[in-house]
Amino acid sequence: MSAAIMPLPEPPKGLVDRESAKLVVEIRQVRKVYRRDVERITVLDGIDLQVPPGEFVALMGPSGSGKTTLLNLIAGIDRPTSGEVIVAGTDIGRLSESELARWRSRTVGFIFQFYNLIPVLTARENVELPLLLTALSTKERRERALTALKVVGLADRAGHHPRQLSGGQEQRVAIARAIVADPAVLVADEPTGDLDARSAEEILSLMESLNRDFGKTIVMVTHDPRAAARARVQHHLEKGLLKSGS
Amino acid sequence: MKYLPFVVRHIRRDWIRSTSTVLAIALCIFLFCTLQTVIQAVNWGLRSANAARLVTHHAVSMIFNLPLAHEQKIAALPGVRAVAIRTLFGGFYQDPKNFFTNLAVEPEPYLELYPEYILAPDQKRAFLADMRGCVIGPGLARRFGWKLGDAFQMRSIFPQYRVAGPFEFVVRGIYQTDEARYPATNDSLMLFRYDYLYEKTKPYTEAGGQLGAGMFVVGIDDPKRAGVISRQIDDLFENSRAQTKTQTEAAFRASIVSLAGNLALLLNGIGLAVAFTILLVTANTMSMAVRERRTEIAVLKTLGFTSRLVMGLVLTEAGLLGAVGGGLGILLGRGMIRTLPRVPFIGDAIRSLPSIGLSPALGASGLGLALLLAMAAGFVPSLFAYRARITEMLRQV
Repeated sequence: MSAAIMPLPEPPKGLVDRESAKLVVEIRQVRKVYRRDVERITVLDGIDLQVPPGEFVALMGPSGSGKTTLLNLIAGIDRPTSGEVIVAGTDIGRLSESELARWRSRTVGFIFQFYNLIPVLTARENVELPLLLTALSTKERRERALTALKVVGLADRAGHHPRQLSGGQEQRVAIARAIVADPAVLVADEPTGDLDARSAEEILSLMESLNRDFGKTIVMVTHDPRAAARARVQHHLEKGLLKSGS
Repeated sequence: MKYLPFVVRHIRRDWIRSTSTVLAIALCIFLFCTLQTVIQAVNWGLRSANAARLVTHHAVSMIFNLPLAHEQKIAALPGVRAVAIRTLFGGFYQDPKNFFTNLAVEPEPYLELYPEYILAPDQKRAFLADMRGCVIGPGLARRFGWKLGDAFQMRSIFPQYRVAGPFEFVVRGIYQTDEARYPATNDSLMLFRYDYLYEKTKPYTEAGGQLGAGMFVVGIDDPKRAGVISRQIDDLFENSRAQTKTQTEAAFRASIVSLAGNLALLLNGIGLAVAFTILLVTANTMSMAVRERRTEIAVLKTLGFTSRLVMGLVLTEAGLLGAVGGGLGILLGRGMIRTLPRVPFIGDAIRSLPSIGLSPALGASGLGLALLLAMAAGFVPSLFAYRARITEMLRQV
């Protein structure tokens, strides 16, 4: 997979590289508090989580338990109020906004519940988007995007726009977009939440395959116990606390 | 450059909105280019005035002629080099729509006073030798297809010149202009001999009418003495039945286009109001476009696009719309400026201005204005895109 898609780039400047890091994700005493007017809402209350490379983790919990917030912290699209979030050897709390953006482009592949493909772009162009941020040539970008589409079984739909694809196909394109830059970790927020049972099965099988065959580390948020069962490790969040792991 | 197709796709996404934005900008630039070209042409006309030429006309109004006897008295003043009669004939060719500036002049002193009308010596000789002869500008020759030796008839709009029926003219000269030495020279002028006007209107004068001279063009030796000599001329006729008003040619032209200043103000005001309105409309349209795309902006940022890059993409989109709108506006303006001289009535006024055309500098200014307008309109939405927080934008989905 790594060779087929894209080699890991150089680590960004100024980032904390922990030599001892054997973990892809390391969450230490993370708290996340939101303010709503004068009210302070504690969404995550001292979470610790460790995800080794090649793991497939499911985060479960009821609505409002903080699982999406935790996922956003791992993906570097949000910052903790306190504590450390170390992903792929980088303490993302130490990065500026622009450094964090660059870090995301190299380290994290995000799979959304509603696919969030750009409607004016074809499947290939959507997959190519993260590669626009690299120094790759147009030809290389296209080749890699097509390779990623092959991995998800949609090479023949490369020229189709999102509106011409089914929900399951759109999500597969989104997965191709998430893996095209060969990130250290894939984060998925309810990836099957908007799909019918059959498409959901296909997506979960694909994710399983990415984890099993390509060694991708995956952190997935889900409500669905059947989806969570496909993960190797399950964590339950409740009222901002990590209750259990299995 | 690699982001350009992405930007173009977004522009094409809602083509009705993009087209209307482009058209709004185009309208603004079209008005800017057209109005500024007219203002520029009026100003050029003033600039072409010669500081060593004075114009003496009736103190009450330019519509009253001056006694011919004034000419000798003016010529006798120290510092005056030459004096020539110039009378507006007000003639049209075949149809009143074919109106252009035609002047009855004293040929020799007039051509001497106006070296900008460059006439070949043989043509000048032919003009001086033929009472019905006339000299036309190259613009008129093109417009009516007149060549040397062609004869044509004209009627005047003024009753005193209509008494003896139409005037017949023969083209004896086609003057040339030299834009480098004498910029903004009118190339659509017709000059004919005053003595022909005098002879032809004898029935009118014999019936007691007074022909006189529309005005005198006075050449002076020293432009610095223009004020003094002007006063001397006017003092000369202070107790006359026909008092005079003498001023420099530039001041005279400015008074002819006395509305020019106000006109420029009015036109600029209209242009500014239009530009501001379009700025608001475009800004609103672009804001809507960006707000509709909040999820996509969040996705781009999640993928690793920096806030600055996302802001740049929105501004590029605005800039592209501005460039296309500006280009279209310039083309439309150019077309209108070319068409204006052919528009009835307005065309007559336009043709009396020095050769009118959209200058490259004005075109570039138009394009610059379009880009500025689009960038200003795109700034707030791009700032929104810059500041947008991913989690908030995704939560609103």
